Amino acid sequence: MNIGEMLASAWDSLSANKLRAFLTMLGILIGVASIIAIVAIGQGGKSAIIDVIESQRAQQTVEILPKEVVQPGLPQPGQVLSFSDEDFFIARQFHGVADVSYTLSGQGNVAFRDKAVNTSIEGGPNDLNDLANFDVVTGRMFTSIDVLAHRRVGVVSHSLAQKLFGNDASAIGQVVKVGGQPVQVVGVAVSNQFNLLATFFGSDYLYMPATTCKDLFPWWNISEMDVLVTPGTDKADLARRIVTALNIHAHNADAFIDSSGFLVGIEKTVGTVTSILTLVIGAVAGIALIVGGVGVMNIMLVSVTERTEEIGIRMSLGATRAAILVQFLLESVMITVMGGAIGILLGISASWLIHWFTPLPSVVSWQAVVIGFFFSVVIGVLCGLYPANKASKLNPIDALRYE
Amino acid sequence: MIRLRNVCKSYPSGDTELRVLKEVSLDVSEGEFVSIMGPSGSGKSTLMHIIGCLDVPTSGSYQFRNQHVGELSPVELARLRNQEIGFVFQNFHLLPRMSALRNVELPLVYAGERKDVRRARAMRLLSEVGLADRMHHLPNELSGGQKQRVAIARALANQPSLLLADEPTGALDTATGKDIMTLFQKLNENGMTIILITHDPHVASYATRVIRIVDGQIVDDQGRAGA
Repeated sequence: MNIGEMLASAWDSLSANKLRAFLTMLGILIGVASIIAIVAIGQGGKSAIIDVIESQRAQQTVEILPKEVVQPGLPQPGQVLSFSDEDFFIARQFHGVADVSYTLSGQGNVAFRDKAVNTSIEGGPNDLNDLANFDVVTGRMFTSIDVLAHRRVGVVSHSLAQKLFGNDASAIGQVVKVGGQPVQVVGVAVSNQFNLLATFFGSDYLYMPATTCKDLFPWWNISEMDVLVTPGTDKADLARRIVTALNIHAHNADAFIDSSGFLVGIEKTVGTVTSILTLVIGAVAGIALIVGGVGVMNIMLVSVTERTEEIGIRMSLGATRAAILVQFLLESVMITVMGGAIGILLGISASWLIHWFTPLPSVVSWQAVVIGFFFSVVIGVLCGLYPANKASKLNPIDALRYE
Repeated sequence: MIRLRNVCKSYPSGDTELRVLKEVSLDVSEGEFVSIMGPSGSGKSTLMHIIGCLDVPTSGSYQFRNQHVGELSPVELARLRNQEIGFVFQNFHLLPRMSALRNVELPLVYAGERKDVRRARAMRLLSEVGLADRMHHLPNELSGGQKQRVAIARALANQPSLLLADEPTGALDTATGKDIMTLFQKLNENGMTIILITHDPHVASYATRVIRIVDGQIVDDQGRAGA
């Protein structure tokens, strides 16, 4: 019996009961759609977090951090939390180093007249806007002269400007109190990247020259050294050599770490965590597929009973048991494959809708699509096998007599 | 062509056995037109099912064209039904969701014929039974007589050597029944072996040989060819 005729016959049987066929495929449809949507959101979240981490790594800069800052452990003798002036002097001696600067950060009160906002304060070099990924949209960025001269100037983030002054333009030239000391606002900054974390942890920032920041908050640790390398220099090699030199100076083989390696570690962790989460939620959606499969089996059993007469007629016309088996199997596979196909379309559309209407990014993974489709075929076969086998075992005469 | 020897058929019924056929022996030759008559419950349908290889005897032997049917595998039985035997039932047994044409094609599908061959032969058969303009109708769009013609065309699809009809006129009015019987008569004149089951003496009179069966036993056999 040829496959075209079998498919036509299976299609006829399904279209004779359209509502029932649709309801039966609903379980498979929802299962496949949710697997695809969940994996898409998981993958999207993962790549968004990794993008944020990646963007922390400026192209021409090597970041060196005290290891204790990023991988805190028990306090140990000889642990280092802050860079000293000598460390900067050592770093400057290396060939391939264009400039060395530092950043420091902490929380502090920024007050204007009767308003005060608890703000993240960052001190850094005049290219801090590249390191911290922001653009100055009103006014100006502080300059290298500002840094050298310890000038009391600062750039506020858009949201901080809104809170203190009402709008960006009126912020310029105002003097705010930072830790009780006057600082003049020279610019307003807007972040130039999508920052998932900012959605959760506010975005009130004050950026100042590193020297000024150190003057106002002398007790803050200098927890990051930014080494600007000359073009054509092997960043990784330079970073390793500087870290070694700093460690020797600190008499501690583990005092400092190059942030690129540290970020790779974080990326791996983030990747693993989101993958596991995706897998767990995906498995829950997979249960929907199994439930859907049970529904398919149930309906196929009903269908075999209802169509006992048809089976008898087909047998009297010369259908072999195998032909009957394949016919019913094909029907159940057709239901689940159609459910799977609609589920794939629905899952992809759902991912797009989520991407458009929420801040959650989503990336449809072709693996999820393939797996979803594969499982809908497998479930069709597994859940169709028992009813189809039952149909093929009917005695033709009992089947014909059945009313 | 058909040789039944001491065929018995019984079904378990509660604690006792219901003996439907008792020691039936019967020979039918090529080209005969046989009516099997009997009241309901006499076992005539069971006899037809056994002859049609839809059912197997509890004891006794059945030879169809010198093959021992009891020794055939299920696949060989299906093939025998497909190639050698055409069935016509009282309530037509057409597949309701298929057009007349596709119903007639079905035995050819199971025979593994190519689509163009199937289509051509099914069209020719439907034209021969006078349904050239009804080919694409579904069974519920056809009258009883038309349905039975479709069933006959379907039974003839693989050019079987034996046509089995179980009360073919039972669901039809007298005039239509007469048309169908004339069709059977014509088929028999062209060499088709026909076994027909009925309880209507008028219908049975179209046959050249009439067998009466009562309580699972043959009580009368008239007009046997060569007898």
